[in-house]
Amino acid sequence: MLKSVRQVIREQIDNKELIIRMAAFELKGSYQIHYLGSFWQFLNPAIQIGIYWFVFGLGIRGGAPIDGTPFFLWLLAGLVPWFFIAPSIIQGANSVHQKIGIVSKMNFPISLLPTIRIVSSTPQFIVMLIILFLVSFIYGITPSLYTLQIIYYTFAMYVFLIAFALIASTISTLVRDFQLLLQSMMRMLFYLTPILWSTDLIVKKLGDFGRLLENILRLNPLYYIVQGFRDSVLGKAWFFEDLIYMGYFWIVTFALLYFGSVLHLKFRKDFMDYL
Amino acid sequence: MNKKVGLKNVTKTFDLYAKNSDKILNLLSIKKDGNKQFMALRDINFKVYEGETIGIIGLNGSGKSTVSNILAGVLQPSGGEVYIDGVSSLIAISAGLNNNLTGLDNIELKCIMHGLSKEEVEKVKPDIIDFADIGDYIHQPVKDYSSGMRSRLGFAISVHTDPDILIIDEALSVGDSTFTQKCLLKMDEFKKQGKTIFFISHSASQMKSFCEKVIWMHYGQIKEFGNADGVLKNYTEFTKWFNALPEAGKKKYKAEMFGEQIREMQHHKKQRGGNFVSKMVKGTLVVVPVVIMGILLLTNGL
Repeated sequence: MLKSVRQVIREQIDNKELIIRMAAFELKGSYQIHYLGSFWQFLNPAIQIGIYWFVFGLGIRGGAPIDGTPFFLWLLAGLVPWFFIAPSIIQGANSVHQKIGIVSKMNFPISLLPTIRIVSSTPQFIVMLIILFLVSFIYGITPSLYTLQIIYYTFAMYVFLIAFALIASTISTLVRDFQLLLQSMMRMLFYLTPILWSTDLIVKKLGDFGRLLENILRLNPLYYIVQGFRDSVLGKAWFFEDLIYMGYFWIVTFALLYFGSVLHLKFRKDFMDYL
Repeated sequence: MNKKVGLKNVTKTFDLYAKNSDKILNLLSIKKDGNKQFMALRDINFKVYEGETIGIIGLNGSGKSTVSNILAGVLQPSGGEVYIDGVSSLIAISAGLNNNLTGLDNIELKCIMHGLSKEEVEKVKPDIIDFADIGDYIHQPVKDYSSGMRSRLGFAISVHTDPDILIIDEALSVGDSTFTQKCLLKMDEFKKQGKTIFFISHSASQMKSFCEKVIWMHYGQIKEFGNADGVLKNYTEFTKWFNALPEAGKKKYKAEMFGEQIREMQHHKKQRGGNFVSKMVKGTLVVVPVVIMGILLLTNGL
């Protein structure tokens, strides 16, 4: 039953060098025509973070801390993974439709396309992560053992994104409406993941019903990743403390990978017919 | 001589949908009847041996490009068998160059996509630059290239990735005569190495000088396959006869031929019961744990 999953994973592993080199070219191609070049990779999210800090850190919330953590730092710990996740999902889903015309003329495994797209955002993610650590240092939070968990959550994030982009890119090539749906979904999930507010608020206000609402929001696997990043940076919890949530996340990821591989292998030879 | 390429009873149909929603219903195998199909290829059979150079000629819409795409593996046939021994490489005008990258970067990118290692890329790079012969433009982004430069670069890259079977789809019609000459020399070299070349064009004169055998495609079928001189003579006679027809006669002829290629959709897919059931079981096996963990998560802390 794992034949398709194994085939897709083997394609990724056998071609890891190819993935990295193609991702480098992809980066080069997308920034070559800009005067500031790859500096935009850092500038773009930095401007956005600045706006969020101005509006939510200083303005509306008046900088009130969450759980003893300054709001801006709490926000940043969620925004950094989100700035990696959101474009990876949207562009990863579009990658096959965008590149199929080029790669179908050669002997090239199409399952690499979404992965290449995700890997090519990695330098930006690393820059953002460094900024996050600098800011948390300024706020007086020193790295601890908890911080090491970021390796685990980064790994979880990559696996989830690759699995999701595989199934999404297949569906999105067959049914173009899916791409638009995905864009709307991501805009919605930005508020529901939640990046801007803490779900503790609804639990405090609504009691048990609030707890149920929070659990419903937690069904979204992105919540797991974002929460994990916060826990690691702010030193709040260990990743093995909530085994149910951890199990849920990995089972969902596996299900996506399974259905993604089956669908992808079934349709990949016919992708050109759907353009 | 070894058989290099063989097509047996190959058909290619494109589904024509009256409504956009029919497409998705067909995809989900809900609705299969009532739609029409266009048969781009009908029962194509031919065999090609090592070292042969085959021309494919025909009017617009006769299925030349569909055949070349099937040979290159870009499209899958709807029916029949395709046998290809080796790696085939399709050269079409500006096939798959990244417009934002420079010519040099494109050389590197295309070569690694063809599976060449870093050292191999460095080895063939000077040859490609020399063959494309576009001067300092090699350091400029491809978006600034003229169409001639693009096809020169594309051609140069493709011939240097060492394909066993080369498919050239109208790519030479853009280059000037000096470049065409260069390409023809290169292809002669390939011929001597025992490589198979397919040459798609509607220029009978170029084909006469270069190909030994010619396939004449006619509205999705092979009308003639044989020695270049004979087939090309018949083809030229046909185009003369066709051009001499009055306007109304031409239209009528085309409509008749086109009508033959349309038919009601018939899917011969057999629904294999066992396979379907096992797929359903596997799918359920994957979904059930997700549901269980989801419920556990929902009731957590309540």
